[in-house]
Amino acid sequence: MRHKRPTVVCLAAALALTGCSAASTGSGKSGSTLTYLTFETPSLTATFWNTSIAGAEKKVPGVTVKKIVAPTTDRDAYAKQLQASGQFPDLLQSITPSTFATAGLLKPYDQKWVDANFLLPKGNAYKGKVYVPPTNSQIIPEVFYNKKLFAKAHITAPPKTWSEFMAVCAKLKAAGVTPVELGGGDPFSASMPLVGILSADVLGKNPDWLKERYAGKVKFTDANVKAAVGKYRTMAEKGYFEDGALGVKYADSIANFTSGKAAMYMMGSWFLGSVPKDHADDFGAFLTPTEDGSLVVPFSVGGSMAISAKTKDPAKATAFAQAWSLDPANYKALIEGDGAFPMLKGKTLDDYGVNVTKVFEDSYSYVTRQNTKVSSFGWATNDDSMPSGLNNAFYSASQALFSSDDVDGQLAKLDSAWDSATK
Amino acid sequence: MTTRVRPRRGDPALGSIALVALGLYVLFIVVPVIMSAWKSLTNENPLLARADFVGFSNYTEMAHDSTLAGSLGFTLLLAGSVTIATNAVGIGFAMLLNKTSLSFRMMRTVAFLPQVLSGVIVGYVWRYILARDGILDNVLVSLGVIDRPITWLGSPHLAVLSVGLVATWGLTGFTTVVHLAALQSIPVELYQAAMVDGAGRWQRFRRITFPMLAPGTTISVTISLITMLKLYDIIAVLTAGGPANSTQSTALYIIQLAFTDDRYGYASAVAMLLLVVSIAIALSVTALLRRREVDL
Repeated sequence: MRHKRPTVVCLAAALALTGCSAASTGSGKSGSTLTYLTFETPSLTATFWNTSIAGAEKKVPGVTVKKIVAPTTDRDAYAKQLQASGQFPDLLQSITPSTFATAGLLKPYDQKWVDANFLLPKGNAYKGKVYVPPTNSQIIPEVFYNKKLFAKAHITAPPKTWSEFMAVCAKLKAAGVTPVELGGGDPFSASMPLVGILSADVLGKNPDWLKERYAGKVKFTDANVKAAVGKYRTMAEKGYFEDGALGVKYADSIANFTSGKAAMYMMGSWFLGSVPKDHADDFGAFLTPTEDGSLVVPFSVGGSMAISAKTKDPAKATAFAQAWSLDPANYKALIEGDGAFPMLKGKTLDDYGVNVTKVFEDSYSYVTRQNTKVSSFGWATNDDSMPSGLNNAFYSASQALFSSDDVDGQLAKLDSAWDSATK
Repeated sequence: MTTRVRPRRGDPALGSIALVALGLYVLFIVVPVIMSAWKSLTNENPLLARADFVGFSNYTEMAHDSTLAGSLGFTLLLAGSVTIATNAVGIGFAMLLNKTSLSFRMMRTVAFLPQVLSGVIVGYVWRYILARDGILDNVLVSLGVIDRPITWLGSPHLAVLSVGLVATWGLTGFTTVVHLAALQSIPVELYQAAMVDGAGRWQRFRRITFPMLAPGTTISVTISLITMLKLYDIIAVLTAGGPANSTQSTALYIIQLAFTDDRYGYASAVAMLLLVVSIAIALSVTALLRRREVDL
């Protein structure tokens, strides 16, 4: 009995210490310790993060950064878990700002600093404020194609209009080539053709469509959306994807396309990091064709890290985030491995010391040229981002529409899901 | 020789043990259920500090939620079909393995293996087997059974069938062991008497084995049902609920609502619905099967 009380006290102290240390953010005369949520991919390795953090730490005296690695690439989900358990990090890499900003969890950046350093300062602004420096961008999706397979089907140039695109698909199929690779086993990957068609047809004609959907002025069941989705159904019905595409995982779809099993592949520009270096010139890219051949770039401006509104040392957190975001050395892995298009002002690709392919340069030119850029449907990080949970409904509809011709039913489900998510 | 010490009535040691068990039960079962019931009456969002009381609006919303209806339908279909299949196979395996030699004891261990594996591992293993161009397709193509690979997990109907088969495989070890234990408790004299009376194999099974298995079947069926009604891990790894939500169990939907859609309140309401459905089914089935035991 004598030992009971000290044991309880020790246990309580241990629990308290555990709870406190998990979300430790301290500041004092000796400096600040900040927590930083990151994620790892084959190109963004642990070494990349350690090196980039060390580089920014050197530029901000008195700051120590403790890295937290999300268990998967879904850093939004992990950030939510950390928030729910009272461990929201001070800095959060590449999260979706709208999800957290609406809850008042993020601190906006100084707009003057953003304006001074980035090509599209408001590229990912949410309700007029920038929560993540717009350091890089993606085109989601591009239509990548295999030049040798096009030549085999006697196709001399990539299509510009939708009818040309359909003709290309028909020629490829007639030549015994699978026209379009689809990694339908992973929901996000299954949605890529629809993302491309909706971005080109719906947002291309009305760039404010998503904002108007929030306002209830338009619906998924509207005729223009139905017509766009009908194009995807036509592709599926005519057998322009392989029969078992819903059983093909995303990673396998990359392997299938790069090994020449299909002629085209609709995917985000991050695929550029997977283009085989030894025969990169076999691949080209164009944008989802529109009815009249006008060019519509489905664009998404990503970025580096968001700053928690709860951080105990906002000055140091901001200084670290700014130092990291402006260091060209941190862009090399993003450009070469993830096919990210850098958005720093006054820099050329040479300034990043990167070795990129011709298809990367061609794709990057869509970013730097003056043209019609619209938010990529479902991938926007600005005011055009979809409400929480809608992406899952959209992915599910994409998979369902692969084998079901109930376009009206699927679009009505999307409207219903949207209304539930926003009420 | 051992001496058994009978615990005395009112033994304080027993009281302490019971208290610990009761405390753990209250802490990890009763309190979370009460908390979930309370959250189901709010619009709690993990990102927001404040949650408002919304009455029964989460429950009324469920009536119009077609995704919930789909997931509940799939869950009930899965629970019913897998419970029947796994118990039928379990009884068959138990009868085959009801021998005492070393080789049969080893086979019993092998039959129980799937039960030892975690659902995540089962999901991963079968994902490789059932993948397009996976092990199963390669075997079937090389044997000439099919001429092109089948997308077991890529078509909604086949994915439902595949999840059912994998869940049956995972649960059969358990049902086999339960029925084996029940089989071994049947007195041999009953069979001997039946043989003297001229009863054939089928009659012996129908008149002796099957009725005498009743207590084991009650346990096995009830636990199989409950396991299937809350199935999450195998599906999360095998199909992630796809394609097109065709294999989305209610448990999986609850996780999506809470952690992707940020709707703790609504997710809690769906969890309460699943709890009530599970309790109702478990109680009904147990009552039905117990009646069969009483009829012996």
